Amino acid sequence: MYDTIIIGAGIAGLTSALYASRKNMKFEVLATIFGGQFMESGEVLNYPGIVKTTGVDFAGKMQEQMKANNIKVKKETVKKIDKKGKTFKITTDKGTYETKTIIVASGARPRKLGVPGEDKLSNKGVTYCAICDGPLFSGMDVAIVGGGDSALEAVDFMKNVAKKIYLVVKGKLTAHEYLQDNLKNIKNVEIIEGETKEVLGDKFVSGLKVDDKELKVSGVIVEIGRIPNTDAFKGFLETDEHNHINIDCTTKTSAKGIFAAGDCASGHEYQYVIAAGQGCMALLKASRYLARFKED
Amino acid sequence: MGKVKIYSTPTCPWCKKAKDYFKEKKIEFEDINVAEDDKARKEMIEKSGQMGVPVIDIKGKIIVGFDQETIEKELAK
Repeated sequence: MYDTIIIGAGIAGLTSALYASRKNMKFEVLATIFGGQFMESGEVLNYPGIVKTTGVDFAGKMQEQMKANNIKVKKETVKKIDKKGKTFKITTDKGTYETKTIIVASGARPRKLGVPGEDKLSNKGVTYCAICDGPLFSGMDVAIVGGGDSALEAVDFMKNVAKKIYLVVKGKLTAHEYLQDNLKNIKNVEIIEGETKEVLGDKFVSGLKVDDKELKVSGVIVEIGRIPNTDAFKGFLETDEHNHINIDCTTKTSAKGIFAAGDCASGHEYQYVIAAGQGCMALLKASRYLARFKED
Repeated sequence: MGKVKIYSTPTCPWCKKAKDYFKEKKIEFEDINVAEDDKARKEMIEKSGQMGVPVIDIKGKIIVGFDQETIEKELAK
């Protein structure tokens, strides 16, 4: 029987693990991938105490920190949780775990457009990671879909890579003001207002249909937000209208003994520092819960 | 054993992770920057039939993404 099982190895989960280790708890970290979304973020300029870093450097540092604390991440995907009296049984693709508490820090993944052609041409011109695959569109015309921070950061990243950038925005730009100001100084971007209808192409992307207009592009970078990785907990934990796990200000979920932190939880603002803070809070609250659990 | 080729871009986090993995294992590899080398980019797209990086070529076996399990299997062959 474990004290806690931490689901996810992004910033939230790894912060929980760090605290669990220092509290000598019996725990495991289960994750599909190490590093979560920070493996796909570019520059990080807003983490307190760190002037400038990148997602991959941050991941490297966290890996070092996990090693120093003897924490190993098990590569397993959680399929479901069952309640067993006051404890829980977690079923993964590789086995089962019995635990008194659970920290869900399963993060989020890029939201898809949900239009024809998208899945067929995924990785064939359609990408959800500008810094990964963007440079492949060197000298070509691309479309970036979205109007939030990630979309405008992608435009900034692609300005010296692509020949022409179409920024496809449905409705208004929602990115931070400084990103919108920056956009005005980028010469090779054209804003197209409208709804994406279809990704065009046979073997590779050849265009994007926005309303009735066809844009001739070789690449489509999709940056329209994220959806939480909470499918495995559906019906077991209460969620908001976008499937984020509902938590209170102390990270408690609707199930006693289960806490949630980071981008999978309600109140999400998709920030490193919030994920770290909530990961810490979740573990400390789980620890307090365990102290009382023993008395019962 | 034929040299390992890693088709990558300088900014791609998973490319760095893949390269770090081979460095750690002390396995020599050729790092091919497809952001700059048009010919290599075409070669990579042809070999893998897709446009995501990294693409790792181990003795002709093409692995898309940093798939550690598959890499280990191929290296053990």
